[in-house]
Amino acid sequence: MTLSLSQRIYFFTIICCLFFAALLSSVIWSSQTVELAFSRDQYAQQLNNQTIILKQLITSDNIYASDYSVSHWQVLQGRLSALLKSAPQLTPQQQTIQNSIQNQNENLKRLFTQITKNKLKNASSVIKSHLKAKLMTQLEAIRSDSLQLSAIAHNDIYNTIKHEALIIISVSGVSIFVLLFGAFTLTGIVRKSLNEVKQAFEKNHSGHFEKIKLSHQSQEFDGIVKAFNTMNQKLSENTVSLEVMKKVVEERTHVLKELSNTDPLTKIANRRALFERANMEFSRALRSKNKLILLLLDCDFFKEINDKFGHIIGDEFLIHICDVCRQEIRDIDFLARYGGEEFIIVLPNCDLLGGIETANRIQCSLANHCVAVKDKEVCVTLSIGVSMLSERHKNLDQLINDADKAMYQAKKNGRNRIEVLTPPNLH
Amino acid sequence: MLCLAVLTLVVFIGAASLYSNFKPLWQQQKHLVTIAVSKTPLSTPFYVANAIGAFDDTCVSVTFDEVVGGQRAFAKVMRGEADFGTSSDSVIAFQSLANRAFVTHAVFVQSDNDVKLITRPSAQINSALDLKGRRIGVTKGTASEYFLSTLLALEGLTIEDVRQVHFKPDELINGFINNDVDAFVPWEPFAFNSAQLLDSQIKVHDTKSLNTLSFNLISLAADNVLVNKAKCIIEGLTIAIDYIASNPDESKKIVINKLQLSAEFIEWVWPDYIFKLALNQSLILSIKSQVIWAVATQMTEHNEIPNVELFIDSRAMLQVAPGAVNIPL
Repeated sequence: MTLSLSQRIYFFTIICCLFFAALLSSVIWSSQTVELAFSRDQYAQQLNNQTIILKQLITSDNIYASDYSVSHWQVLQGRLSALLKSAPQLTPQQQTIQNSIQNQNENLKRLFTQITKNKLKNASSVIKSHLKAKLMTQLEAIRSDSLQLSAIAHNDIYNTIKHEALIIISVSGVSIFVLLFGAFTLTGIVRKSLNEVKQAFEKNHSGHFEKIKLSHQSQEFDGIVKAFNTMNQKLSENTVSLEVMKKVVEERTHVLKELSNTDPLTKIANRRALFERANMEFSRALRSKNKLILLLLDCDFFKEINDKFGHIIGDEFLIHICDVCRQEIRDIDFLARYGGEEFIIVLPNCDLLGGIETANRIQCSLANHCVAVKDKEVCVTLSIGVSMLSERHKNLDQLINDADKAMYQAKKNGRNRIEVLTPPNLH
Repeated sequence: MLCLAVLTLVVFIGAASLYSNFKPLWQQQKHLVTIAVSKTPLSTPFYVANAIGAFDDTCVSVTFDEVVGGQRAFAKVMRGEADFGTSSDSVIAFQSLANRAFVTHAVFVQSDNDVKLITRPSAQINSALDLKGRRIGVTKGTASEYFLSTLLALEGLTIEDVRQVHFKPDELINGFINNDVDAFVPWEPFAFNSAQLLDSQIKVHDTKSLNTLSFNLISLAADNVLVNKAKCIIEGLTIAIDYIASNPDESKKIVINKLQLSAEFIEWVWPDYIFKLALNQSLILSIKSQVIWAVATQMTEHNEIPNVELFIDSRAMLQVAPGAVNIPL
């Protein structure tokens, strides 16, 4: 059974009320007990006083005198007897003493009657004083019992107050404990549940539509959680998360970028990418005063290959050239299709000798790796023009142009060659 | 907050525990104690205490040495054969005259009709005056002798005016049957036994309230150890006396079984008994008046009146029931 928070609060309030009601009734009970004990004490004090009066009478009066009138004694004795009859409700222990007092009182009456019956006219003074002493003893016995009654009443008052103090201390202690425990539990439930709801909202924000699972069940939070979970369910069904969308866009953008920069046949960088990268390397070389080499490669007799083997085989030759070039250049070098059967390789941080060496490697590799066409090995060659960045070059086009000139030089000089546009050749 | 709640609870429990008196959890050391108990219903608190195990939770393990009469119990204590004894205030009065080294720790019962005067109807004894010149059986040095003397004195007679014949308490009736005496002064249960046995051949005089008798716990002059033992015995007696007050019928049964008495006898004496623990001025006054009386009537060879207060030791009672103690310290 799930209790609501308000039910819990009512529950704790009722428990505390019960505790305080118990406390109140125990205080009422104690006050009545103490009141009764006080009335018993008062009764004992009255008995004591009455006995003292009788003792004074025996001490002061000559009860053996011939003209002694017993009326005074009888009045006082009657008062004592009446007092004994008006005893309040007594404890069993006090009742035993009360019985003792009543008994002593009867003895007192009988003894006094015996003594005063004939004034002990035959008795000696010794027996007279002895019997008087006996009367006093009897009265003293009553007085002692009265004092004991009073002492018991005092003890009862002390014990009742002591017990009441204990009850008050324990009930207050338990009440405070229950209150603190209740407050702690409720605060804990509210705080934890709020935290769980907050975390769920935060997760929602980042696109994780998770259900809330409460650690503590309460009707109030259960309602919120139910509504939230239903909303989340619908959201998760209908919503593509921003994160996923961003990822998809990034992936598509990347693909598009790849496509826009790549030559679809050879899968190397196209002319657009070439200019972008070559311009960047050109600027960097100018800025850092580093060397920059450009190789322009043109496939020899490509038209004849196309005519002889067809365009498809021609395309394969272009792919083959690209594969060979890729293997022979460094990671920092950049290979791109310049157009038709022409390719450019940008060699940053490379001197002229390095450029020529790279061109040589490519030619050697091509010579060693021919293409099998109809069971026949067909080798292609490249005419390579090399240009090196110098102060003369104001832009990339001029550098490409120089490489182009060198390449035509190579064609002119018999193909499958490497030509460098040397300064004497410049103008 | 939980910590605070637990701390509060601990503090309250601690305060409550300190406020209430803890009983020691360990078992107290038990002292072996022998009590010479007079075989009379006046010793009911002892028999009941033993029967209900009232001494079990005290520091004493009690053995009873049952004797006939408080005087014998007193003798046993003085000879060191018993640690404690039960004796009447009359015995205490007579023994204080001899300046014996003993003390009284507590009064546990009173009776105003324990000692009785029994005569033959044919002897025509209607008042104390008629006792003059008669042979009267008494137990010397006890409430029996004291009672006879006060009875005689009421009519101006002394023990010189009668012929005292001394018997042990249980032999008084034989003296009466054998016609060695005209009257005798027994205490219970001998008075009742005589009434049962001789029925119409005797006359029991109404002397209620003329002699108040109390039975007391006595021992040799006590050191601290003995006071502690007395304290434990009184603790047991307190439990027994509370039991007697709330369960009179069961208590009567215990005494009937213990002393092999008839239910009629218990019903006969029970109304005269008041079982309660006390140590008050009236005991001192009672002993004092009996001492003065004994000296004045030459019942004893001692002439010097002792300081009666010296024979009262209130230390044990003050520890158990201070409210029941009412004597000048």
